Amino acid sequence: MEFSVKKFDLLRELQLVQGVVERKTTIPILSNLLVEAKKDQLWIAATDLEMGIRTVLPAKVKKEGAGTIAARRLFEIVRTLPDAEIKFKGLENNWVELRCARSRFKLVGMARENFPALPDFPHPLVKIPAVILATLIAKTSFAISMEESRYTLNGALLQLKPDSITMVATDGLRLSHIETSHRFNGLNTEVRVLVPKKALTEVERLLKEVEDKEEVQFARDDSHLFFKVGERLLISRLLSGQFPNYEAVLPRENKSTVVLERDQVASAIKRADLVADQRSHAIRMALDKNKVEIFASSAEYGEAHEELIPPKPYNGEAMQIGFNATYLLDFLSAAAAGPISFEFKDDQTAGQMRPLGEEGYKYRYVVMPMRL
Amino acid sequence: MLAQAVKQIAHVDMDAFYVSVELLYRPELRGQPVVVGAPGDQRGVVAAASYEARAFGIHSAMPSRTAKKLCPHAVFLPGNYELYEQWSERVRTVFERFTPVVHMVSIDEAYLDLTGTERLHGTAWAAAQKIQRAVWEETQLPCSIGVAQSCVVSKVASDLAKPRGLLWIPVDAEAAFLAPLPVRRIPGIGKVTEKTLAGLGVRTVGELARVKREKLEEVFGQWGEALYRKARGRDADLWFLDEEQKSISHERTFAEDVGDAQQLDATLAYLAELVGQRLREARLYARTVTLKLRYENFQTLTRALTLNQPTDLDVVLYEAAARLFRRNWNRKRKLRLLGIAAGQLDAAPGQLSLLDADRHARREKLTAAADAVRNRFGADALRSAKSLLRKPTH
Repeated sequence: MEFSVKKFDLLRELQLVQGVVERKTTIPILSNLLVEAKKDQLWIAATDLEMGIRTVLPAKVKKEGAGTIAARRLFEIVRTLPDAEIKFKGLENNWVELRCARSRFKLVGMARENFPALPDFPHPLVKIPAVILATLIAKTSFAISMEESRYTLNGALLQLKPDSITMVATDGLRLSHIETSHRFNGLNTEVRVLVPKKALTEVERLLKEVEDKEEVQFARDDSHLFFKVGERLLISRLLSGQFPNYEAVLPRENKSTVVLERDQVASAIKRADLVADQRSHAIRMALDKNKVEIFASSAEYGEAHEELIPPKPYNGEAMQIGFNATYLLDFLSAAAAGPISFEFKDDQTAGQMRPLGEEGYKYRYVVMPMRL
Repeated sequence: MLAQAVKQIAHVDMDAFYVSVELLYRPELRGQPVVVGAPGDQRGVVAAASYEARAFGIHSAMPSRTAKKLCPHAVFLPGNYELYEQWSERVRTVFERFTPVVHMVSIDEAYLDLTGTERLHGTAWAAAQKIQRAVWEETQLPCSIGVAQSCVVSKVASDLAKPRGLLWIPVDAEAAFLAPLPVRRIPGIGKVTEKTLAGLGVRTVGELARVKREKLEEVFGQWGEALYRKARGRDADLWFLDEEQKSISHERTFAEDVGDAQQLDATLAYLAELVGQRLREARLYARTVTLKLRYENFQTLTRALTLNQPTDLDVVLYEAAARLFRRNWNRKRKLRLLGIAAGQLDAAPGQLSLLDADRHARREKLTAAADAVRNRFGADALRSAKSLLRKPTH
């Protein structure tokens, strides 16, 4: 194996694969990247057995071949090298030589045969516009549960229908749901898959590297999901198990509504949260015909009182309802700027929030109150 | 500097607790030397001795064989720790009628903060008399109580009052009370400290109080600061007298080490019920659940997890504890102790659950119904089937 690549080409790809490299060192080969020089390209692969990533960059290949190199080390070295051509050469015992300008390294490698094989990309199921997928992820993934014990909530539900796409995420306390119409050619049934949070994070990273109009090729086999973004391929293990029947908890009778400007309500909540109990982040919303008040208090920091005047009167019975400020802020920073509709039934049942300025998307956020 | 409020602390120490409980069931042994612990012809130690047995020089932690030699006709009982805990629990509920701030330091000993209860119970002295009487009337168990302005002095006082005594040390009498006592009387001062102090020519608390703080710190480091305070009848720390209760916990030491998974699981269910009941009594909701495991060799491990939603429900506490248990118990090793603590307590249930709202409501109803039965017919009237799988030890 002998090839050379441009520093920045390589650095960009190394950066993109770092998230997939195994952090623990229980299986040493997983801390390594597989590099393969073929024709005039360099292929790079990484996996932590939960996910895999394959990417490619232009290379001048003198001698085809493959090897493995410690991922983190290589990234740190390349990052600080001068902006010049980097030459690689396979040595005895799986070592790899790296030369760039006046730097020269000999790096310990491991036999490429030990590197786990990544599944091949099957026939794509659908093509999803990059901008749609990025929007879906950005507006839901924050609601995914971090609790390991509820593993079916450790991912988002992706639902593809012939003419729509939906993503739903919940941690059992709040739920984020977004849907948009899109005609998927060649799809005539419904596809429901659970995408792990880690995979979404990596796909999001890959999406940032491509144009909005680019299309992501999505595929699956019995145990994997595949997202092909340009030439880069992210493979994730499929989250098995049943996503909860979320339709059952979507509010249907939240008739008491008030519309507030996103920026105003978000900054009022942010300020109130500063003096709220820092463990529970409990705030209280008091809804009255012509004003919405937000209260917070804690023994450590004191009290806050914010007052908002809605453009149109609140149409329900006066009521007070408690929320975790963090949950509201998560949503408000994901929602588009402009008016947000707050919809309630009573102080014991889930509230619903919908941004009215979200163009082309049906986006709603359902959050359970706190009993204070 | 802010003036410190005057505290009124009662230290209640149950007299020969294990033996006293045994005597409730075997009144024919009253007046005899009774020892709870390993049999007199076997390896093991004395856990408790009746005052009659103590007259022969028997004391706790003494090898049972030695005890047998000192008093060949003493009655040796194997001990039933579960039963002792049940009685300890009953005693605690009596304490809690007098003050919300009860700190059980062990199964048979508690500090009660009586500060501010004067209107309800009269002076701390009067309250102590009422407590001692109430404990006796409701459990037939004797106790001794020391009342003072600090934990240190109240403990020394209850110790000197034993058995069945009451001792009140008014604030201006503290120094005079402590001065003639040997330093070993001060809680926390053991053989080692005693010896070091003797090297400094200090044998009594009064002598200790005359040693400069710098000198004590020089010799004992941080412990010197604590000694300096203790010698003056002041507490080194008052952490458990915080207004807010930090956690509610129950633990169980097995009479014999247990390695049976079902038995341990049943114990967890039982402990979760005890913790849950106390949470509900106190109207508190826990955000964290901590599991405590102690192996045969005394290696102790505590593991905690944070709940999605604060709870006061037995079943939720049990599920969390059981999960921690599955993850952390080394099945090859037997356990001598299991414990569950509920922490990060809040006065409101806080965040409600979206997906489990119905199930949660059903569980709340079930628990409320079970509590109603228990309030009427006693704590053991209704238990979960799981917790009933525990092997009886009496």
